[in-house]
Amino acid sequence: TNLSSIKSKEEKVLNRNMAGRASIPARNSALIAMIADEDTVVGFLMAGVGNVDIRRKTNYLIVDSKTTVRQIEDAFKEFSSRDDIAIILISQYVANMIRFLVDSYNKPVPAILEIPSKDHPYDPAHDSVLSRVKYLFSAESVSQR
Amino acid sequence: MAGAEEIEICEEGAEAKTERGDEKVVLQFLDSLDGYLTLMDSLNSKLREGWFDLASARHSMGTLRINTTLLDLKDHSASSTLQVTDQEVESLGSVHCFALSKWASKGGSGKGKDFSTVADSEMGSPRSPQLRHRGVSGEKPSEKGETTVLAADEEIKKERAKSLSVFGGLVSPKLRGAQLSFETALETLVEIANTRASMLTAFKRISKK
Repeated sequence: TNLSSIKSKEEKVLNRNMAGRASIPARNSALIAMIADEDTVVGFLMAGVGNVDIRRKTNYLIVDSKTTVRQIEDAFKEFSSRDDIAIILISQYVANMIRFLVDSYNKPVPAILEIPSKDHPYDPAHDSVLSRVKYLFSAESVSQR
Repeated sequence: MAGAEEIEICEEGAEAKTERGDEKVVLQFLDSLDGYLTLMDSLNSKLREGWFDLASARHSMGTLRINTTLLDLKDHSASSTLQVTDQEVESLGSVHCFALSKWASKGGSGKGKDFSTVADSEMGSPRSPQLRHRGVSGEKPSEKGETTVLAADEEIKKERAKSLSVFGGLVSPKLRGAQLSFETALETLVEIANTRASMLTAFKRISKK
């Protein structure tokens, strides 16, 4: 009982310190979510990141030719709002289908990482993080300084 | 007069200090950016290895034995998870830090090996995964320590085998190779997440100025 009360106090302190930031899982085990093609998802599941809860909700979405953009959007919104997920891996070609949603996401956690897929190599020009920071190197920003 | 000169010198010193601080943040941002691109390249090659091994395994075992219909949809928790903390980085302030815990035993024994990939405190440059170290030449590791490490290794082997068991009892060595490639890719991804966090923090500091 003492240990659990100490742990809950630690969690409260952690959450108080995080006030004003996006909520970060106070637990020690946060998940990695995936929105990617079959081979990528199967590969990372073999690495042990797969999680299925009691309601049979998984932390991954396999994208194939039959997956609709709506399904991808719903999965992205769900994963980005869960507090037990710390990183979302999304194939870059899938991210391009919901580019507006990915680019408008600006929370620090979960972190969105765009990864290459088998048939679509990684393109730095489309990476949402690099798009955000490339403004620093643009001619307009340089002339303003 | 002397007092006014002293104040001027102090102000100039403070300005110089601020400029040095700004330059440091810019350097950290550029280093993080370079690290991010290098790590993405490394991730790309690791993933390619994994996809190739997976395709080879599918070729030798058959397409029916390696597909998503075999995935375990019974409730189970992830063996590889993350810890998220806040780390104080000089001149950047607080930066989110991701650490990977691979193959943690679900039985609660906690003997899984912890390959924490934590960003360095100075830059976003990640350290390589921690490996167990042998003693310095001439020294023998203690027997108890060696037993503990062997027990942890056994646990990890069991977890790895369990993860592949959805594809059957006997699996191709290529499938095991693919598993290792994706494990390495996972470590690289955590490093990328840490580098990304420090890059975005440095970017925010620069943008404010």
